[in-house]
Amino acid sequence: MADYQLVIIGGGLSGLAAGIRSARFGQKTLIVEQHHRPGGLNSYYHRQGFLLETGLHAMTNFAPTGEKHAPLNRLFRQLKLSRKRFITHEQLGSEIIFPGVSLKFSNDLELLCDEIGTVFPAKVDSFLNLVKEVEAYDPFAEVEWRSTRDFLLERLGDPLLIDMLLLPLMVYGNAEEHDMDLGQFAIMFRALFLEGFFRPEGTIRDLLAMLTRQYEKFDGELRLNTPVAAIMQKNKRVLGIRLADGEEITADAVLSTAGIPATARLSGWDIDEKKYIGQMSFMETISMVPRDNLRQEQTSQTILFYNLKAELAYKRPETVIDPSWGVICFPENFHGLQEKLAKNVQVRVTNAANYTLWQAADADEYRRLKEECCRQSAESVAKIIGNYRQDVVYQDSFTPMTIERFTAKSEGAVYGSPIKIKSGRTPWSNLFIAGTDQGYLGIVGSMLSGVTIVNQHLLG
Amino acid sequence: MTRDEIKDVILEIIEDIDEDAEFDELDADKPLRDQLDLDSMDFLDIVMELRKRYQLQIPEEEYPELATLNSCVNYLEPKLKDA
Repeated sequence: MADYQLVIIGGGLSGLAAGIRSARFGQKTLIVEQHHRPGGLNSYYHRQGFLLETGLHAMTNFAPTGEKHAPLNRLFRQLKLSRKRFITHEQLGSEIIFPGVSLKFSNDLELLCDEIGTVFPAKVDSFLNLVKEVEAYDPFAEVEWRSTRDFLLERLGDPLLIDMLLLPLMVYGNAEEHDMDLGQFAIMFRALFLEGFFRPEGTIRDLLAMLTRQYEKFDGELRLNTPVAAIMQKNKRVLGIRLADGEEITADAVLSTAGIPATARLSGWDIDEKKYIGQMSFMETISMVPRDNLRQEQTSQTILFYNLKAELAYKRPETVIDPSWGVICFPENFHGLQEKLAKNVQVRVTNAANYTLWQAADADEYRRLKEECCRQSAESVAKIIGNYRQDVVYQDSFTPMTIERFTAKSEGAVYGSPIKIKSGRTPWSNLFIAGTDQGYLGIVGSMLSGVTIVNQHLLG
Repeated sequence: MTRDEIKDVILEIIEDIDEDAEFDELDADKPLRDQLDLDSMDFLDIVMELRKRYQLQIPEEEYPELATLNSCVNYLEPKLKDA
């Protein structure tokens, strides 16, 4: 008999959700995580007394309690967690800012419709039809890749409106450059525009604690500081995992959340690895700034998606970062969090970054690049929210190298492979993948991926 | 188990799966899924919970037998008579 019925590689959100699902029905389950804390991309660290979150700007897929079919509420039922006791704070409002035009949106679709009515009056009806079409679309049907840009051009016909709508959807979840698969577009459109942004009460640490508690309540085992060296196999079946320290753990089935390229390296899976390495990675700088030094009009919102050029260049930049477009997030700007605001607020700025150039830098050059990119990014962002550089109380950045180290995603590709494996299957009948490379995205999405793959293949 | 006991078990399992479940107007001869607004993932949980509690293996082709509260009882009665 194997040591475990299921071994899960990776204690990120998809791994934890998969673990809860498996352990809930009495299967002997082990999660192995290479780091000293769970969370993967969505974790946290402490610097100078501040708890800084990684990954999480906001959660998408907001749904009020009682809407039974909403992804957020289905997820809570599947994990046997109480949605009623999970306190949520909705966004204040967000904005897509292009040269000379902007579109505001919130968790109420009507705002975006009104804004489109003002800026693109001829396109309102086409947009409403698009909403209906996206609502009816099944993003998980196994169909051929289909161009979102062609789809939108046919329906909306306006390149500027298309770029504006695509910016938030792409930057929060598109692993491909320039264009995106229509299924991914539908997932992101629903998650952001139809459902919307919120934050849970507390920090990502509380969310992770809730999940690990639930997992352990069902007798699931979690081993931290436990990197995997190989997935052991014989003929067409996997036998378990071998850890970096040589220990071997056998399992009836293995579920990997490390992404397709990393899973291929662990298993000897013969694939063209390059095709599965995403090009999109990011640098993010978190700054603590006195609230009064920021421009009120913009900084009273939750997330600003900006582009300083006429067209959106969603691709790996040729320079270390591309500060001409990106995301500015104010993680305190959610309903119900405003009363307890401290004097200093967080400003998080995210820009596309080039992994290869970051990787080539030695330690000194890496530090210099980080400083230089912070400056470039802040200068661009000053055009939108005012100059805050001289006021920064504390600042820290992460780069594609940081993302690669903490998430095991090759080349720091946060959204994983541009090619997804929706079935979760591999050439081995008892090795599966879940998480970003399976096709769901975001925090709610990656958890649903873990749940779905366990439901489909691993509750035998 | 008696028919009434089986009925209680089913309702208890559903209540456990869905904190919003309301049984006041439940018609025992109408599909549970429609009345309680459950989806296929919730339905799987009913099957899994029965397996966990009573080691019952319910093959997928027999899932339709669990459609209504009464059909559940009819289907489970012989299987749980010694439980």
